[in-house]
Amino acid sequence: MKQKTSALKLLGMVLGATALLALASIPLLSQQALDRTKTPLPGKAPELRVPTWTKMTLANGAELMVSEKHDLPLVSFSLTILGGVYQFEPANRRGLAGITASMMSEGTKTRDGDALSNAMQLLGTTVGVNIGTESGTMSFISTAGKFAPTLDILTDMLLNSTFPTAALERLRAQRLVSLTQAKAQASSIAGRVFPRVLYGSGHPFGQNVTEESYKTITREDVVAFHKQYFQPGRALIMVTGDVNPATVKTTIEKSLAAWSAGGSKPNFSYPALPAAHTATIYLVDKPGAAQSTFAIGNPGPPRSTPDYFPLQVMNTMLGGLFQSRLNANIREEKGYSYGVSSSFMFGKGPGPFRAGGDVQSAKTDAALIEFMKELRGITGSRPVTDEELATAKDALIQRLPGTFASVSGINGAIAALWTQGLADTYYQSYGKAVAAVTKEDVVRVAKKYIDLAHLSIIIVGDRATIEAPLKATGVAPIVVLDIEGNPITNP
Amino acid sequence: MFTTGRNIARIAILALACCAAVQKPPSGGSGAGSDSIRIPFESFTLPNGLTVILSTDHTTPTVAVNVWYHVGSKNEVPGRTGFAHLFEHIMFTGSGHVPYGMHDKLTEGVGGSNNGTTSNDRTTYYETVPSNYLESALWLESDRMGFLLDKLDLAKLNAQRDVVKNERRQSYDNQPYGRVSEILSHATYPTSHPYSWPVIGSMTDLSAASEEDVKNFFRLYYAPNNAFLAIVGDFDSAQAKAWVTKYFSGITRGKPVTRPAAPPVTLASGQRLVFEDRVQVPRLYIQWPSIGEKSDDRYALEVLGSILTGPRTARLTKALVYDQQAAASVSMYQGSNEDVGDFVLMITPRPDHSLTSLEAAADAVIEKLKTEGPTAEEIRKAAAGDELSFLRGLESNLGKAMTLCNGAGFHGDAGFFRTDYQKSQAVTADDVKRVANKYLTHGRIVLSVVPIGKLDQASKPGESKKVDDKMPSAEVQR
Repeated sequence: MKQKTSALKLLGMVLGATALLALASIPLLSQQALDRTKTPLPGKAPELRVPTWTKMTLANGAELMVSEKHDLPLVSFSLTILGGVYQFEPANRRGLAGITASMMSEGTKTRDGDALSNAMQLLGTTVGVNIGTESGTMSFISTAGKFAPTLDILTDMLLNSTFPTAALERLRAQRLVSLTQAKAQASSIAGRVFPRVLYGSGHPFGQNVTEESYKTITREDVVAFHKQYFQPGRALIMVTGDVNPATVKTTIEKSLAAWSAGGSKPNFSYPALPAAHTATIYLVDKPGAAQSTFAIGNPGPPRSTPDYFPLQVMNTMLGGLFQSRLNANIREEKGYSYGVSSSFMFGKGPGPFRAGGDVQSAKTDAALIEFMKELRGITGSRPVTDEELATAKDALIQRLPGTFASVSGINGAIAALWTQGLADTYYQSYGKAVAAVTKEDVVRVAKKYIDLAHLSIIIVGDRATIEAPLKATGVAPIVVLDIEGNPITNP
Repeated sequence: MFTTGRNIARIAILALACCAAVQKPPSGGSGAGSDSIRIPFESFTLPNGLTVILSTDHTTPTVAVNVWYHVGSKNEVPGRTGFAHLFEHIMFTGSGHVPYGMHDKLTEGVGGSNNGTTSNDRTTYYETVPSNYLESALWLESDRMGFLLDKLDLAKLNAQRDVVKNERRQSYDNQPYGRVSEILSHATYPTSHPYSWPVIGSMTDLSAASEEDVKNFFRLYYAPNNAFLAIVGDFDSAQAKAWVTKYFSGITRGKPVTRPAAPPVTLASGQRLVFEDRVQVPRLYIQWPSIGEKSDDRYALEVLGSILTGPRTARLTKALVYDQQAAASVSMYQGSNEDVGDFVLMITPRPDHSLTSLEAAADAVIEKLKTEGPTAEEIRKAAAGDELSFLRGLESNLGKAMTLCNGAGFHGDAGFFRTDYQKSQAVTADDVKRVANKYLTHGRIVLSVVPIGKLDQASKPGESKKVDDKMPSAEVQR
């Protein structure tokens, strides 16, 4: 696709020193010939520098954390609410949280939607509202000088939104178009059918937004959701960047003075998972598709599992890197795909393990055989090598410093400790925890959390050409589903 | 710009590309004045012609290395389309002294990343690594610049050919509306024009690429005199210069490169097309031929795009999506290739609103702007977001490396970002009015994408010519 180029287009401004060095100033080559067969060894590893932060509490009970970073005049601000769609959205109103988030840009008691938008444009920034599955945020990044006026806009949206009915109808109509468009896209179809099959319609993880659910949402629903959800008793305000903690606290106290105390942190209890079924291929027809989209997996453990670090190392070896087993085989060796991978979705609930990718239609059966081979391999049939284990650990451990490069990166990293209930020293002890993982751990957690006997194998593709070859693999029986994940009774 | 890359997972980071950081500004100051942003870089050229740009930033203990070759799909010939990008994939299959897999091990395997992307005009490769792995990153890049052909592996070439075909299927053929850019380019440019074919190429041409093609392409375009190397991040400048000299100076200069002509095009009259796709909702695309990276009109066209679509107050967005509620979404942008570019509008209708009526509604808004020009506030709003975007770009070593290379490669000045910023900020209402009248003319392509069998959903269906491109599923059956 064409990309918007302005973002790529750089610019900064005044320059430091542009030295066009004379060639003479370049160090001369040493006399001995260069031996290119020798891989240069790394220098001394840089010391890990974890950002620090100050913790405070606002009068209304909201927690406040501030992390200073002064190399650029930037500020990243987030107001995180603990709990999300799964804790606060009624099962028969799927989509309500998302619509409510959008409605908070549609006008306040003193500014209509256009006036809000104009004010943000003139500040050069945008306040984003996003309510996810287990948490929600209002956030922005601004220059240091525009932090206070941008915060005042966020406060206006938080406390004074009017939720006009006309805006609700427009947003509903736009979202219905997006839902319709998604029916033509294989990855969207797989993204809806996979959780539905794994968790069933009785579990929030398996409940998708539908045309029907959008159509039932009323303005009263939006007002009630907003009132119930955005409470300081379950909120963290995190500020990172070119600010002073004491000053920023005063600024926030003043701006959010009218946000009165209330609310508490939700519990994250989920209903029991449906009984596991024997491994099954769920085939969703997409006539004429050039590729088949795979999503193979099962429900996984929550972030709090003691097996978190072994699982991260194991998944890195299986499908977390370019040269991981899945991609090295299915893309690089066989050429069946542009890329395949695997992941665990760690949160408060039983997020899924998922392996998959898009595969050339004519290689759907061959790819399935390779996926299964690699899943069997990691659960014991293909021994973990020393090099694999070392690379997976190095990749995980040495990736950490890069996450602290930007104000938003730091902001997210610290806020994540709060949402997941992790220790303040988590990043300092991270390397040691990864390094402690053994080969035996890897195989043990692979066996425990990749349930080969009960896998759900979702394949969205051209049924006419792929069903018979898939059947011939003998991997698992085939059940044909519609694009919402319902069994087709007359296949 | 159209780009396509080795590994889809890492492309997003490129969108943040921008300039560079530096001086410590006054804490909590009254905002980021333009004087608080600098990219302190130094640049030199090796005797073999390699341009080297160094910029230190010790904020984070990482380094980005970017090697930028001035070759893209523009340098291909009909019958071998897609070759520049296929070649990019081959650059990751190992080289004289670097076995296959080592490149990933010394980048992603030590907590870093790597990728390559190909556009119409350039191919660029990067590594981000912990700062103690800079030397090995330079060893990797120099080895494939100097010794790729020593270990050219035909099996790997063929596997990558299949991978690229799957990249095409995934990103174009199997995506709703995925064929649009290809159709628009083909319609806008004459078939001899190097921007008329897509970067990803055609399935047939990808099958035809030979070992000899690979060798010839490498020798001509992957020589140091056609390349730019930027190193940005936490390193010692003197040490980096020594390593650059050690690993790159022995690579032989290549022949001078002749750049293909990619002249501007004008369409004497409009062309109306309709394409049947596996979509549920129709869409309208309008493309006007415009100018490229090197024309100053680009700045006003970019501002024009942001005045017409984007925030809810942008003129087309407000009229079509908010006031008339006839469109679900509308977007528009100026895409600048090195030599020429395109200005593109996309409209997704709401049910019961025809593409014909949306085209007329959009034209009315555009005509009004052409007559009246933008307001002073519209210009101010367009300029206001720039400062923050630039500052945020400074947070990425990789973004800065790309910015420096783009400046050096396209404009002969690694510090071109300053000019670019100043010219963006200097755009006036008169400039915008002038370019709107100059480029948004009747000489345009109007493309309706409609669900299969619904040709009547096109804008002015009676006047629209059907694009009889074969649908992709016909190819490569077992």
